[in-house]
Amino acid sequence: MTTVTLQYYAQLREQARTSNEQVSTSATSLHGLYEELRARHGFTLPPDALKVAVNAQFSDWNRVLRDGDTVVFIPPVAGG
Amino acid sequence: MKHFSLASDAVDLAELHASLQHPGSGGFCAFEGWVRDSNEGRAVNGLEYEAYAELAMAEGERIVEEAIARYGVNAAHCMHRTGNLAIGDVAVWIGVSSAHRDEAFRACRYIIDEIKHRLPIWKKEHYIDGDTAWVACAHTYREHEHEQRHRHDHAHESVASFVPDYSRQTCLREVGEAGQAKLAAARVLVIGAGGLGCPVLTYLAGAGVGTLGIVDGDRLDASNLHRQTLYDARDIGELKVDLAARRIAALNPSVAVKTYAEPLHAGNIIEVFGQYDQVVECTDDLGSRYFSNDAAILTGIPLILASVYQYEGQLQVVTAKQGDPCLRCLWPQEPAAGVAGSCIESGVLGPVPGVLGSMQAIEALKLLLDLPRPADHALLLVNLLDGTSQRLPIDAAQGCAMHGGCIEAARRGLAMAQAARDVDLVFVNLDAAIAAGYALVDVREAAEIAAQPLHAPSQWIPSALIGERAIELAAGPVLLICASGRRSGVAARVLRSQGMPNVYSLAGGVAALAPRRDRIAG
Repeated sequence: MTTVTLQYYAQLREQARTSNEQVSTSATSLHGLYEELRARHGFTLPPDALKVAVNAQFSDWNRVLRDGDTVVFIPPVAGG
Repeated sequence: MKHFSLASDAVDLAELHASLQHPGSGGFCAFEGWVRDSNEGRAVNGLEYEAYAELAMAEGERIVEEAIARYGVNAAHCMHRTGNLAIGDVAVWIGVSSAHRDEAFRACRYIIDEIKHRLPIWKKEHYIDGDTAWVACAHTYREHEHEQRHRHDHAHESVASFVPDYSRQTCLREVGEAGQAKLAAARVLVIGAGGLGCPVLTYLAGAGVGTLGIVDGDRLDASNLHRQTLYDARDIGELKVDLAARRIAALNPSVAVKTYAEPLHAGNIIEVFGQYDQVVECTDDLGSRYFSNDAAILTGIPLILASVYQYEGQLQVVTAKQGDPCLRCLWPQEPAAGVAGSCIESGVLGPVPGVLGSMQAIEALKLLLDLPRPADHALLLVNLLDGTSQRLPIDAAQGCAMHGGCIEAARRGLAMAQAARDVDLVFVNLDAAIAAGYALVDVREAAEIAAQPLHAPSQWIPSALIGERAIELAAGPVLLICASGRRSGVAARVLRSQGMPNVYSLAGGVAALAPRRDRIAG
């Protein structure tokens, strides 16, 4: 199991009902992690609508998760 | 009792007051003009009024009636003295009673201003030194004229005497007079005069940016006022570009403003961008952001993007320089409709676009003034609930560069926008469409068709099935028809994305067609 910190923005924050949380996951990649969270929180956004950043750097979706990573999934927002 | 009276002797004011009593009145306002002991430095011991009575009576009556109609007050009267008056005498008395105090005050003010301006009454002043003089009516400031101007014309008010003072910014070492000259020469296009656009326009106008272009097709709605600080309640229903232009003219008359009351489209965006040094994207529309991004990349004009969601926002500066990242480097394709939340659907707290718009204004000024900026490019995420922000550096090599580069992506994007623009066709009747060679396809549901048949030869494929039954469509030009043009527009775009460029949508749908002759008889 890997323990990571998640930060949520926009619709993801709304659907997760929190702006951050710590989770233990059996997922090994960001893709796997997002699918796991999607099932848990009912995220409506598909991963291809999102950008992902790990430890304050944009990241490839196939990046291997490591203990202590801070992961942010970022949807584009439209309001003005 | 008449609304206006001339009196050669003192009048019982209590009687005038009593005459304006009205059961529907909750407020009474009176104005009394008294004889003063001096005029323009000369001591006066009395004066004499002379009126052209017939004309004064008719004009006075008209003025009070105008005030009653204009402010909807219940009762009003004006009494003007003639003859000899001593210091302290009442020369003119006006009383107004109305349901609420505001109309009473305003009607009272209207009457005295108009009386002074229009009434054929002359004033002969008697000076203490024995001299006398007939005094002409000087220019009268009429408050109500300015109310009107505020509503409609303040962009055109003469402010020739105003000299802007930029000393608070030119004293910054990095700005100085040279920086101010750069701002005066700068031309900035602001797309969207809403929650983000208001602070952007305010700060750029205040800073003395020489030319501001404003694009917005919307009229002000009451629901805009919690975040769109350029406007007020009197402005509802007016075009935002007109309102914003007026506010900017009032704030800094030295700024030239150009307005665009229609959204930019694929046919003009490149040309319009070419007239500016910088573009600030402030709409609440993702499609517009991609559109602006593509036009910025193709014209090489820097673009400052921001957007907000509830309590947070995103900010990105696209320099449009070769090798620097763009919006598509982060999110290559515009997400499907409904994926990105808008202010209408998701809500937003007013100051959130205020903060992000202010940040856009800072980025705009930094670029124009060439102020120090970080060397790398980043997406800034601002969360105003927990007071945090995250600056995520963007690696251009991981963006558009992996699939042909920003310019290639922008070209494709703009071509798609052009194609989508050509989807909607206007026809007044279906015979004209058939004569023009279009095969008609009704994409409505069976019940809708039964209620309102097309009365023209057409194929029927409900919009939900259009993708899978595309093979049944004619090879030549096809016109899709629904009730309003919405479903047919979406369906036409879906088919075009599947490689069918000859598919069009009837703009406005059945609702926009001219009524059939045989149905409007009688």
